[in-house]
Amino acid sequence: MCIGPPPSSQSYLLGDRLIEVAQRTGAQAIHPGYGFLSERAWFARAVREAGLVFVGPPAEAIEAMGSKTDARQLAIRAGVPVVPGTTEALRDADEAMAIAESFGFPVLLKAAAGGGGKGMRVVRERHELAAALGSAQREAKNAFGDDAVYIEKYLDGPRHVEIQVLADMHGTVLHLGERECSLQRRHQKMVEEAPSPAVSPALRARMGETAVAAARAAGYVNAGTCEFLLDRDGSFYFLEMNTRIQVEHPVTELVMGLDLVQWQLRIAAGERLPFEQKSFEPRGWAIECRITSEDPGNGFLPSTGRITHLHLPSGPGVRWDGGIEDGSEVGLHYDPMLAKLIVHAPTRALAIARMERALRELVIDGVETSRGFHLRLLAHPDVRSGDISIQWLEAHLAELTSAPPHEETVRLAAIAAALAAQHDRGLTSDTAHAARRDGTLEGWRAVARREGLRT
Amino acid sequence: MKYIVEVAGQRLTVELDGPDVLVDGTRLRAALETIDGTPVRLVRVGDAVHRVIARRSGARGDYTVSLDGWQLPVTALDERTRAIRDAAAASASASGPAPLVAPMPGLVVRVQVAVGEEVTAGQGLVVVEAMKMENELRAAGPGRVTAVHAVAGTAVDKGTLLVELEAL
Repeated sequence: MCIGPPPSSQSYLLGDRLIEVAQRTGAQAIHPGYGFLSERAWFARAVREAGLVFVGPPAEAIEAMGSKTDARQLAIRAGVPVVPGTTEALRDADEAMAIAESFGFPVLLKAAAGGGGKGMRVVRERHELAAALGSAQREAKNAFGDDAVYIEKYLDGPRHVEIQVLADMHGTVLHLGERECSLQRRHQKMVEEAPSPAVSPALRARMGETAVAAARAAGYVNAGTCEFLLDRDGSFYFLEMNTRIQVEHPVTELVMGLDLVQWQLRIAAGERLPFEQKSFEPRGWAIECRITSEDPGNGFLPSTGRITHLHLPSGPGVRWDGGIEDGSEVGLHYDPMLAKLIVHAPTRALAIARMERALRELVIDGVETSRGFHLRLLAHPDVRSGDISIQWLEAHLAELTSAPPHEETVRLAAIAAALAAQHDRGLTSDTAHAARRDGTLEGWRAVARREGLRT
Repeated sequence: MKYIVEVAGQRLTVELDGPDVLVDGTRLRAALETIDGTPVRLVRVGDAVHRVIARRSGARGDYTVSLDGWQLPVTALDERTRAIRDAAAASASASGPAPLVAPMPGLVVRVQVAVGEEVTAGQGLVVVEAMKMENELRAAGPGRVTAVHAVAGTAVDKGTLLVELEAL
């Protein structure tokens, strides 16, 4: 069934049209995926009111977790830790000092109307606070016409660690451990792994219980994810809940040995979760690379065109969740993610080695992709040792994109190009060789003589 | 046949001599094999076999070579053509900085410069939206704007001329 033309505003974002197509085809349920309308409460409600099943949480739970501020209030009421700070504008420096001392330095001053780093100050020492507040307020006033400034605890190099939750309609809420998603560019995740190199079994249990508490407080059903910032000292703070399946769910599937999307459907059909919490221990290590049609050598500009050749990696522990094939047209209507390459291996080091092998085997010809960038990223010592934070990738972007190739690669490229140029001239090295052996005789005359001798 | 090959800012001499190649004078055994139905070519150097895609791009001798996770622009020309190309480049470089063209199709969101304005290397000139992302297109080098063809709100194809520049 065609739901409409390529622009999503005329197809995937038209809830009524999707419901109509579902009814015409006799579908009983709609799985909203992880983009478009997957986190729209009105769509979940419209599906329910049309007599169909929405494969996801109830509309009310989507609303409860809908905005970061609502989710934060809900988390505080449920006893879930959030980044300490105020939600009201600071009156003066004395109030700022009292609040800062309640959770300790460093602190972050943040313009209420903020954006682009304007009206933002990191304050590391108590004596700097009053002056920083004054300048943040002036900057906010100039930039946004509003000098309201908040204060919150500043986390130095935290990680993005999220907990997968699964809840049925009968009151069972379980967590499936964490995913480490710190490697992000412009808030877009590029590489995810499970488990996290920074999470011990004890911390996993504590974060898991916290995520389960947040999900219960929202009346959550089906698969969802609680996102946390994990500080270097092991403290963690709830950010928000994604009320849908996530792009990176395969890494959890591989280390936990179950099919999350199948369980989404079974939960939506009313089944009970037959698992116990203690059955979810991560086995081995899984890594996912998001293969996008972006050109890392050119500021990550999107690349379009036709996939002229596709060769997929294979072998044990290699999974490809792709949306492309030979001849696919990569246009500008949708997100640049072409596919996800996921590997599973007994240890983190083996998983990295397996991912490197799979990335080398992958051939996508016709559009620029992030494949080579992923290889350079995985080769970096910080990534290999797992010493990463949410700021790591942005801070190392220039180093990763401008690194020159090895001498050996340069030499090989030169040989390949020379051989290709020779081949493309239609002059094989054999005839050239024969012509040279012939002394003064040019190649074409040699060929003409051979032709002349043919019977 | 002797090729002058430009890659990663370097110039290498690759001489093809029957089953051998001489790279800057070092002799190696090397061969290329095509695989029918795919753009992949097998390049054997010594005992190692590498899977390589050498896609033709632009002018004669220009290739985009994909190998070991790298995509490298490479130009492989025989000595004579290389000399002609160098002479042409020397006279062209006097004609000023390259104009800004759209690197992909998209929608012009903002034009950040006007005719007569002096721009520095790396300065954002035009913002184009594609794939839900805004991309700032920057000046490759310093110059003065002589013409602005980009109009906010209009769609552009890949290769559309957006801004023309002259040397300061």
